[in-house]
Amino acid sequence: MEPFVTHRGRVAVLDWSDVNTDLIIPARYLKRIERTGYGPLLFADKRYVPGGAPSPDQPESHGPEDPDFPLNDPAAQGTTILVVGHNFGCGSSREHAVWAVAQAGYRALIAPVKNEGFADIFEGNALNNGLLPIELPEVAWNAIVLASREDGGAETTINLQDLTVTLHPASGPEQSFPFDVPEAIRQRLLQGLDFIAETLLLDNAIRSYEQTTPAWATPQPA
Amino acid sequence: MSETLFEKVWKRHEVRANDEATLLYIDRHLIHEVTSPQAFEGLRLASRAVRRPDLTFATLDHNVPTENQLDIREPMSRRQVETLRANCKEFGVTLYDIGSGRQGIVHIIGPELGLTLPGLTIVCGDSHTSTHGAFGALAFGIGTSEVEHVLATQTLWQGQRPQSFGVEVTGQLPPGLESKDIILAIIRAIGTGGATGTVLEYYGPAIRALSMEGRMTICNMSIEAGARAGLIAPDDTTFEYIAKGNRPFAPKGAALDLAIADWKTLRTEDPSAFDRHVSIDASTLVPQVTWGTNPAMTVDVTGTVPQPDQVPFTSADDAHRALDYMGLTPGTPMTEIPVDIVFIGSCTNGRIEDLRTAAKVMKGRKVAKGVRVLVVPGSEEVGAQAVSEGLDRVFSEAGAEWRQSGCSMCLAMNPDKLTPGQRSASTSNRNFEGRQGPGGRTHLLSPAMAAAAAVTGRFADVRELLGKSK
Ligand code: SF4
Repeated sequence: MEPFVTHRGRVAVLDWSDVNTDLIIPARYLKRIERTGYGPLLFADKRYVPGGAPSPDQPESHGPEDPDFPLNDPAAQGTTILVVGHNFGCGSSREHAVWAVAQAGYRALIAPVKNEGFADIFEGNALNNGLLPIELPEVAWNAIVLASREDGGAETTINLQDLTVTLHPASGPEQSFPFDVPEAIRQRLLQGLDFIAETLLLDNAIRSYEQTTPAWATPQPA
Repeated sequence: MSETLFEKVWKRHEVRANDEATLLYIDRHLIHEVTSPQAFEGLRLASRAVRRPDLTFATLDHNVPTENQLDIREPMSRRQVETLRANCKEFGVTLYDIGSGRQGIVHIIGPELGLTLPGLTIVCGDSHTSTHGAFGALAFGIGTSEVEHVLATQTLWQGQRPQSFGVEVTGQLPPGLESKDIILAIIRAIGTGGATGTVLEYYGPAIRALSMEGRMTICNMSIEAGARAGLIAPDDTTFEYIAKGNRPFAPKGAALDLAIADWKTLRTEDPSAFDRHVSIDASTLVPQVTWGTNPAMTVDVTGTVPQPDQVPFTSADDAHRALDYMGLTPGTPMTEIPVDIVFIGSCTNGRIEDLRTAAKVMKGRKVAKGVRVLVVPGSEEVGAQAVSEGLDRVFSEAGAEWRQSGCSMCLAMNPDKLTPGQRSASTSNRNFEGRQGPGGRTHLLSPAMAAAAAVTGRFADVRELLGKSK
């Protein structure tokens, strides 16, 4: 996994609430067995004009983009931080949703309100892919949305070392907002560790746990 | 303070635990074709094996056509199905393939096979894994990276332990209502994000009165309230389900007696131990139908499409978008909305009891003109049982299509989909935009209510139909 230490980039805003993973990537694209190629499929049924979404076997070829979709705004082009509404990523567990967001060029997501910003499974999937889900208090979230609208995609720095999001507005003073990430996860992200390799170091503990399993809990031979 | 059922099961599975992270042991890992290919590929790239193939079980469900399961025409679906077959063979994982007699939706076959038992941890790369919580198992959906982690280590890292959230359902469910109405009413009351960061436990007399099928419907939709999992404490209904029927992997004889003695301890002694709590009265419920694009956008069938500024948990902007997408006008009585397609099936309501309930409403009646009805059993076993009871004939004689088992129109990865603008009455779990096909409009309801829509051609209060002689 690519380590995440600091990231500076511009912000795009999609402030709808309860954006589910079916919307982030429709089910027909889940027939792909690859782990790459999902970038153009992000919001496929919203982002292109009707009938313009790519076919699952040719993700790169699609019709014209729908100018009304917020991420097609000229100011959103080249952005790498996505500001989203409450309960982003609810619904299906499909990790393809995280792959689509990450492969469309985003390194971090910012949602409003601690414990309400992201659906649980989506948040875990994002962390497993080095896509940083950040929950900020409503006031801080609003400030970023506002700055982004005024500046046409505000310059922002996310620093995982000191756990801050900093706005660099075109005019006026910089503003910094703290966020938190559990320390164990922060270390893994900073170092870009292979989670499985880390867990396999605990093989002895797993083995001794297995000795304690009651007989009925092991599947009886068919 | 005493512990909740959830905390008991969680603690039993801690391999390592500190303040902010726990390594949980996983007792059962269920696999399907959609969320596993990249995980197996990851193992191959790192030259890793499946640590416990004896705890790992696979089936094919999402891509399977239901007209003729064996005839997978879509090349990408075929490739995905063949990839799972090849991976199971390479890594030594048991696969319940099409035509094995045991194939079906992953959350339907786990309990049928006796793999789902009280007190276990069960994961699957599928959010509706919460279904298995009906047995008092801690069961939850995971992403593909986690699937790979479980395949390689048989464990999973979890952050802080979720809070426990008690949902008490009092009273007696009135005739014509089903467990689907209970869970829709709960989601409507707490919202789609209302249980984020928590594990739900359903309890109370209305829950105790439910069969295992009914309990599975409730736990299945826990994720639609944002919960990590949903549990129901095991009781005699649970033990009987496990002991009876052809459940090859369930403990038997003395092993079963020992297990039951243990399972009886798996309960929340004192409801004050829950971190959060809500109570609903089943006796006051009327049949529920969704009107919008998430499962909390639900009204009574006797109600009307809401005004956009009166939708709980939803901004007027978001409500407008939902009304627009659904093609509905505020104030319209639900019973005046016509339907094009009725879908009876899915891991929420594709079990034998669901088919019996729907058949009871459709028996001696005809599908309304212009309506297409698909009845899709959740597994090959459910299908065979339905045929042995003659339910397939009831559906066919009414003019419905009797199909083979799979996920089908629940998410439209196989050929069963809505076309843009079509409106469905569906017993599945998600009314998201495009869920049943791009541009499709989904309304969620119970199997009895779906059958009522099938024979009337619109949403109808099934209680009125049940009152009338056929
Ligand atoms: S029936 Fe629907 S919800 Fe259930 S596993 Fe299949 S696709 Fe998922």
